[in-house]
Amino acid sequence: MKSLLAALAVLLLIGQRALAADARLVLPEFRGLEDKASETVTITLDAKLIKLAAGFLDASKPEDAAAKDVISGLTGIYVRSFTFDTDFGYPLGEVDSVRKQLATPSWQRVVEVRSRKQKSAVDVYLSLDRNLANGLAIIASEPREFTIVNIVGSVDLEKLHRLEGRFGIPKLELEAKAPEDKAARR
Amino acid sequence: MSHDLERQLRAALRAVDAPPDFSQRVLARIERTQARRLRALPTWLPVALAASAIFGALLTHAWHVRQERAGLEARQQVIDALRVTGEKLDLAYRVVNAELQPAADSSNDSAPDDQGA
Repeated sequence: MKSLLAALAVLLLIGQRALAADARLVLPEFRGLEDKASETVTITLDAKLIKLAAGFLDASKPEDAAAKDVISGLTGIYVRSFTFDTDFGYPLGEVDSVRKQLATPSWQRVVEVRSRKQKSAVDVYLSLDRNLANGLAIIASEPREFTIVNIVGSVDLEKLHRLEGRFGIPKLELEAKAPEDKAARR
Repeated sequence: MSHDLERQLRAALRAVDAPPDFSQRVLARIERTQARRLRALPTWLPVALAASAIFGALLTHAWHVRQERAGLEARQQVIDALRVTGEKLDLAYRVVNAELQPAADSSNDSAPDDQGA
């Protein structure tokens, strides 16, 4: 009996470590939202599809080469984005359920932005495993749009930074703005 | 007795010349055997082999087309995901800037007054 309990405890420990190491979030299905939304973006790319996509990115083109570099260490990209014609037409509870998954020690909120004026909120989280980023999550909610981005794998912020100016990614000047980002208001 | 046996053996084993058409008959028999063997192969076999080869080629082509379509779709999804990620980071940047801008403006406006005072 004792050995059985010990084995169970070891299994639970292994399971917890596995969960802690995996930066993939359980995204709600958002049933029925596609009918309500005026625009929907649903992206589900696992390691196999990312590898396939990498094969179709042309390394001779600077944009493709940069994207290829960014996705080289990734094992999953998951995006859910819904745009509505009316304000707050989406279930806030389901968005909060994703936020709750990020309230674990492995996830660290690196940017928290709340704007009362624009009624928008953006949270950027990093999952860390032995001080290495192995996941990124962005939850952005606006009155008529909400987006959840979950990137799994070795996220190299430097590489992501190099994508600035491509694919509509802005020049953030993260180094210069870092102290201000930390002091982002609610 | 022994002489009689010997005579009979000699008569039985005496050298006899082959008939003049012997070689033609042997060759004709070989040809007939080969023709029979060829006729024994089913006639549908070459057709089946050809059909298999064509089917295999079509299957390979279809797999390549499907793989290319899936690859291009995955590539587009990667680009879309990076675009959406960029847009949300941009939103955070804009909100922070909008919140910081009035504070910066008011401090600039108040600077000369402070100096004047």
